[in-house]
Amino acid sequence: MSLKKTEADISFWDRQRGVVHSQNGGWIIGDGVYCHGYNMMEDLVGQVTYMQVLVLNATGRLPSKRIADWIEAIHICLSWPDPRIWCNQVGALAGCIQTSPVAATVAGVLAADSRSYGIKPLKEGVGFIQHAMSKYKNGILVKNIVKQECEKHGGKPHIMGYARPIAKGDERVVAMENLSDKLQFENGEHLSLAYEIEKVLMEEFDEGMNINGYMSAFLSDQGYSQDEVYRIFSVLVNSGVTACYIDAFDKPAETFLPWRCDDINYKGEPPRKLAVR
Amino acid sequence: MKQKNHVKVSSRKEQFTDKVATRIWYEEASADNPYLEEKSYCHGYDLLELTRHCSYVDVFYLLFRGELPTEQERRVLEALMVAYINPGPRHPASRAAMTAGVGKTDPAHILPISQIVLGGAFAGAGEVEVAMRFLQKKCRKDPVELSGELLQQEIKSNEEGDIHIAPGFGSHYGGIDSLARQRAEYLLSLVESSHVLRWGHSFALALEPHGMGWLNIGVVAAVLAELGFTPRAGAGLYQIISAPGLLAHGIELANKPITAMPFVDDQHYVIEKN
Repeated sequence: MSLKKTEADISFWDRQRGVVHSQNGGWIIGDGVYCHGYNMMEDLVGQVTYMQVLVLNATGRLPSKRIADWIEAIHICLSWPDPRIWCNQVGALAGCIQTSPVAATVAGVLAADSRSYGIKPLKEGVGFIQHAMSKYKNGILVKNIVKQECEKHGGKPHIMGYARPIAKGDERVVAMENLSDKLQFENGEHLSLAYEIEKVLMEEFDEGMNINGYMSAFLSDQGYSQDEVYRIFSVLVNSGVTACYIDAFDKPAETFLPWRCDDINYKGEPPRKLAVR
Repeated sequence: MKQKNHVKVSSRKEQFTDKVATRIWYEEASADNPYLEEKSYCHGYDLLELTRHCSYVDVFYLLFRGELPTEQERRVLEALMVAYINPGPRHPASRAAMTAGVGKTDPAHILPISQIVLGGAFAGAGEVEVAMRFLQKKCRKDPVELSGELLQQEIKSNEEGDIHIAPGFGSHYGGIDSLARQRAEYLLSLVESSHVLRWGHSFALALEPHGMGWLNIGVVAAVLAELGFTPRAGAGLYQIISAPGLLAHGIELANKPITAMPFVDDQHYVIEKN
């Protein structure tokens, strides 16, 4: 783009005007529906799983059923029907005032687009392990990778994919390890490094890898990027949100954790008079 | 192949508060039902008193800033809210509202749908916070000098499409957004001792010979920063300000047939990769 301009060049926008240029595919009426080169009704329906198509739509690549099954299991690990979890609580609150199930679920999913839990940390987790791998390949020792990362957080073991709020340890890692064995996945270089990092953290801080760390390393070994992981898992929490919505919806309205007036701790200005305006 | 040794799962026993705290709103319970409020106060002012004596803009400002606005602050905020009441029917957020409307989506969803789209990080509410931070951080630098530095960096970019040389500033559809500039100039005329907005205007003028200038997001961000709103609220404030226009466009199409909006025909639908 020229920096010195006297007149706007609008040809770029004119080329897009009135035309959709799709990299995905689409519906050719009377011919078929295409998705990244596959005829959806002939090649995909009944031939592959829904999760394979979800990953295809998110990345443009059709994964093996084995990988899609693994990704599906992660969805189970990361969405529980417990309304104390923040995104699920949004679903429950929506249910208690009779929102539609679609709106409630979408609201909960949106809540999980968070930097402290849900989807965004997964993106960061993939970024961390891929960056750590690059450092490791450049000869930096694992204990120094950990040290450098902890230094960013005042010496605390705040490494994306390790430790977790509320609880120590993560039962979901063991469940996914068992599934990985069952599906005959070998540990790749990222997962091996992730385990080495965990060893250092356990020795120095008594903290371990969480499900984010495990899946970030596994998916990095499968060739997925940060953005692809963010896109694949964009509605990761939906089923737990829907469950919590229903639980609240099916009860009398406004009975999910109702608050009395004095259940709010008011810390603001005491009552004051309005000056004449 | 799994790792056998992990940390045993146990609760961290974190201490959560029993009650959420707020400095914004106090609800005085009725004597016979602690769930019903008898009176509500916004930063100490009785809501019914505010209803009788204050404008919407006064109470809007009070909610976020904790004090009622001065006359000038009220005029500036009100002008901003009028100037940006509608992103216009071509904005992607308005089009999302219209698409939801004509698609007979539940009317309660039209506004949230359009607001989500409006949250975008490029020319959307998602750019307001970074633009406010940019303005607050850079407004002590010489605007002409800074524009020169940024233009030198941008010269490396050969990408097609608009350039946002800084959050809230750049080109719009390949040109200078003259309406954004006019809005900025009017808003600037209302502020007696502006700093952020005036600096933004000088910065925008320095960009104009290069086909760039104020973007709407920059104007909104500058005024919000000038009025003392926190950058973290920037995205949501812009969403509130734009909400009337978004909803109006969606509702306008809500009782129309689906043929009332264009549907790209097959000849203009190009599948580029198979």
